[in-house]
Amino acid sequence: MKTKWNQWNCFIHKSSWAVKLSMVIMGAGHFRYGGIAKGLIYLLMEISMIVYAVRRGISDIVGFFTLGTQTADAWSGIEGDNSIVMLIMGIFAWILVLAFLYFYVKNVKGAYAMQLRHEQGLAQIGWKKELASLFDQKFYVLVLALPVLGVCIFNILPIVFMILIAFTNYGGKIVPPHLVDWVGFANFKKLLVLSKFAPTFGRILSWNLLWAVVSTALNYFAGLGLALLLNKECVKGKAFWRAFPILAYAIPGFITLLAFKFMFSYGGPINQMIMANGGEAFGFLDLDARWSARCIGLLVNCWISVPSIMLLATGHLSNRDVSLYEAAKMDGAGRWKQFWKLTMPYMIFATTPVLLGQFIGNFNNFGIFYFLRGGLYMDGYFLASDTDLLINWLYNLSIDNNYYSIGAAISLIIFLITSTISLIVYVKSPSYREEDTFQ
Amino acid sequence: MRKKLDAFWTYGLLLLVAFIFFFPCLWLILASFSQSGSIYSFDGFFPKSYSFATFHKLFTDTRMYNYPKWFFNTLFVATGSCILGTFLTILTAYTMSRFNFKARKPMMKTTMVLGMFPSFMGMTAVYLLMTQFGLINHLWGLILIYAGGAPMGYLTQKGFFDTIPRAIDEAAKIDGATNMQIFLKINLPMSKPMIVYTALTSFTWPWSDFILPKLLLKEKDLYTVAVGLMSLDETEFARFAAGSVFIALPIVVLYFCLVKNMVDGIAAGAVKG
Amino acid sequence: MKKRGIAIVLLGCMMLTFVGCKGKSEAKAAAGGTGSALFDGKLEKNVTIQVLENDTAISKGYFKELIDAFNEKYKDQGIKAVDANMDQYLDLANDGPYGYGPDVLYQANDVIMKYAEGKHILPLPVEGFDCYKQIPQTAWKAYETKKDGKTYTCGIPVNVQAPQLYYRKDLLPENWKDEWDQDSDNVPDMTQSWSRMYEFSKNRHKEDPKKYGYMKSLNDMYFSSGFLFSYGGYIFGKDNTDPTDIGFAAGDAQKGAAVLSQLASAMNEDCIDDTITTNAYSKLADGTYFATISTPDVYSTFLGELEKEYESKGDTKEEAEKKAKENLVMTTLPKLPQSGNLNDTDSKEIDSKCMGGVNGYAISSYTKAPNACLEFVKFATSYEMIKKRASLLGIAPAREDTAKEMGGVSAEIYRNLDEGNIVLMPSISEVSQIWTPGKTFFIDLAKDVFRKDEKKKYKDEAAMKDGLKDMCHQIQEAITTLQ
Repeated sequence: MKTKWNQWNCFIHKSSWAVKLSMVIMGAGHFRYGGIAKGLIYLLMEISMIVYAVRRGISDIVGFFTLGTQTADAWSGIEGDNSIVMLIMGIFAWILVLAFLYFYVKNVKGAYAMQLRHEQGLAQIGWKKELASLFDQKFYVLVLALPVLGVCIFNILPIVFMILIAFTNYGGKIVPPHLVDWVGFANFKKLLVLSKFAPTFGRILSWNLLWAVVSTALNYFAGLGLALLLNKECVKGKAFWRAFPILAYAIPGFITLLAFKFMFSYGGPINQMIMANGGEAFGFLDLDARWSARCIGLLVNCWISVPSIMLLATGHLSNRDVSLYEAAKMDGAGRWKQFWKLTMPYMIFATTPVLLGQFIGNFNNFGIFYFLRGGLYMDGYFLASDTDLLINWLYNLSIDNNYYSIGAAISLIIFLITSTISLIVYVKSPSYREEDTFQ
Repeated sequence: MRKKLDAFWTYGLLLLVAFIFFFPCLWLILASFSQSGSIYSFDGFFPKSYSFATFHKLFTDTRMYNYPKWFFNTLFVATGSCILGTFLTILTAYTMSRFNFKARKPMMKTTMVLGMFPSFMGMTAVYLLMTQFGLINHLWGLILIYAGGAPMGYLTQKGFFDTIPRAIDEAAKIDGATNMQIFLKINLPMSKPMIVYTALTSFTWPWSDFILPKLLLKEKDLYTVAVGLMSLDETEFARFAAGSVFIALPIVVLYFCLVKNMVDGIAAGAVKG
Repeated sequence: MKKRGIAIVLLGCMMLTFVGCKGKSEAKAAAGGTGSALFDGKLEKNVTIQVLENDTAISKGYFKELIDAFNEKYKDQGIKAVDANMDQYLDLANDGPYGYGPDVLYQANDVIMKYAEGKHILPLPVEGFDCYKQIPQTAWKAYETKKDGKTYTCGIPVNVQAPQLYYRKDLLPENWKDEWDQDSDNVPDMTQSWSRMYEFSKNRHKEDPKKYGYMKSLNDMYFSSGFLFSYGGYIFGKDNTDPTDIGFAAGDAQKGAAVLSQLASAMNEDCIDDTITTNAYSKLADGTYFATISTPDVYSTFLGELEKEYESKGDTKEEAEKKAKENLVMTTLPKLPQSGNLNDTDSKEIDSKCMGGVNGYAISSYTKAPNACLEFVKFATSYEMIKKRASLLGIAPAREDTAKEMGGVSAEIYRNLDEGNIVLMPSISEVSQIWTPGKTFFIDLAKDVFRKDEKKKYKDEAAMKDGLKDMCHQIQEAITTLQ
């Protein structure tokens, strides 16, 4: 802390007028010490930021706090404020401000560094050299810029939006053109007070966890097994055999789900066959069918996910170190031993991220039970059925019943729980801790 | 003898797997050739009589349901987001695997955590953003979102790059290659299977997603196949089946074109010197 | 040189923002007063109005005729109507404010009135319409809303949607005039009385186990709730405006549930899920089912399936068409026994009530050409166009003159609406929370018929009453708990 303060003091005293000027006019320091190109960029940045702030930035930030003051009334031609748009543009403005601040500090620091070099009589780093470093030492900056921008706008911003919604009263009757307000922790208080909420949450969460674990394991081992099977030397026409799972993969998931739902319905072919053989129609997916519906969900999900895991595993298998296997063979290791000692550790290492991705995907698998068995509310569950996952429940709450803010609050709670668990698992996993095991 | 027995079991298992995967597909394919057009007039699993009428109707009767148009829309979106998305994902994964910079581990943790967030909760925000950017009813608005979100799934690809030895990288560095050159000349050619896998997945996703296109495309002529099929009337089952079978075609074709690259993409062993 | 990389990011963001600025719609300079002040009678020149119609109207060719006729008439004024080419179930509240909705839309009254709550549609000067006097007050009421003490009408009723009984004349037993027409009014009894329908269904299934009489999935709240209404049940109190009072268990509603359960016992398990709802078209055509209920707007779909069936049996196209029109009958719902027991044929009979709706036109508040839109709606609800619509689509018009002229079912539906036998869907937003709990109850009720005796939940009317109460309670919770 003290050293920081000293540095700051030092900076204040020692910095030249140009560096100080660059605190007001960005890029000034760079102009003074010969960094024209960079200085221009900084200057341009400041100008565009000012233009943006005047045109809408300031009002967006204000709107973020007020969430609108004038209710729209189309009948009397009053334009009015749209709270939700104001919220999202407010977040957008904050992101821009943060980015700008980052460059602002960079600009001052850069100018100061140039001053120091100048005073020590060192040559400045030319822009050509800096540009070249983007393709070498700082290659990652060049490469990550676009993905980070995309993720910020299309992933982070919506998530921040949803998190903030949990602190508003958006939903029910309060949707635009009505004005939305900040309500602090009122939604969370509501959830704590309600006796309805906890039991449903507990039941769904336990089923959701079971589902995620079982279906991930099932999909993963089935996919891996299939890839190994197809990788065997004695199998001729690999491309042909592999085509069948690919065919399944090529048909969009929702179509598969609708098809399976029909097959298992009362009028579907499976029941028709049972009846034709003198049996009684069986409600695979109906109201009373708790476990049969769950099992069908698991199997159908397996059918959908296995092909892609198989493809992936095939890719990884082709990347194995063959010499290791030859050595093992020479040492007389059997096939099982090779599998457990060589293939499995390698595959687990290479595919831990996939496993995690699968786990997350399955945990938040909305489609399966929405299509197979949607639209039921059961006893003992608040606005949900006994096959619904948390994400289905959220959907029921926030879309079907319009409780956006409550839905957001619940998803925030779920999010906190699940992300902590998965973060711990991830950080402890070998593929995170020992990234270079297999190199 | 043991070998023969082994082969027997292997093929038996393969047949079973093939059946499990093929049967529902076959059912869908045959249903699309059903003459009656109604799913309930089937004899058990399969239609009583067949005809090409549905496919003919699918491509010629475009007044209500313009399938050919939807098909090309989807093809456009899928190709666009495949190229852009694969590019971004591979680059992200490579960087995360090879570079050590301050923000790396926090970034890895953040993406991990962000993935846990139920995505439909953010859909409202995406829709509002797109209205503000004026990107509703634009196919490339979709591409932007698909490609922009694609790097979030970089973990799989990173896992792959982690298994490619760094020894060659270092050798090349001693020879004076820049990081960019190392990536382009050495690592990229070696990661063909992963690129193909990534391309295939990012190509397939737009074919099956209907939440996002439904949200962003209001005009029926701009629909993607998935949205279009969901908007079909409930009595149009055969058309639905025909439409879904036809969706699978480009993906299967793509697979057969790329399968070689995917499976024996890198000359295993040559690397490990 | 990290800066430059992120500089691109920032510049990119800003560019997007500027695009954003441009994209924002300009403030609409509208005259003061109520919305209808926008209708100043001055027709906008050279405008294109986007009209959202329902899919049936488009696929049957009616919509093309409508806009062609309109465009021909208004060619000189430079007004052109086009197909909005959007999803028929779109949500104007979602798209309109951002400029992506249609100008004129045709949707159901509960949907349209939901828009009225947020003033997304304009109140219309309905007195100026030539259909004003022709449409009954109940239908107009469905489009009325009270804002600041004034009553506004936000839509023009076009047709009435209410469940109808569909059956096939050629599937009646040969001797129906002797055995199934006790009142000898030349109309088969089973299409007039649910008790007789129940009897007939049992007989038909007994004669040929592959065949059934009346079939309908119970899980559809829209159709099943009518049985509850007939015995005193209702949706919300105070004319469907008070969501704190949920009335599905009110009066003798359990008798309605008992009737449904009896009817289900003459069907098969398909009535538990939506199998019958989707296969009724083809199963009625191939003769497996004798009767079902559905809304009038799908008449043409039933007809088409039946024509196809006749054609496949060897009839020519014209013959098939004629035969199908003759044999497919759409009529109002049969009467119910007051006792709530279908075996009790001596009971006094009461009218069936049903849930229904009024579909109509509304004008978006975000249109640039309100007067041209109004002109279009006037044109589309004129006597000629409604008549054409009714004859092409088989719908039941809300206009008295066309309904009378069409006669038959249209007139009957009109009468039922007038007499209050059609319970119009509530226009308040809480209505969205009744569907799933209702559906779950009816599935349970249907499932119960096929449960083994020891597992049955609804053995008597008291149990059904409790079930209904549970359902109301669930709806109540869904509405109030989180508010």
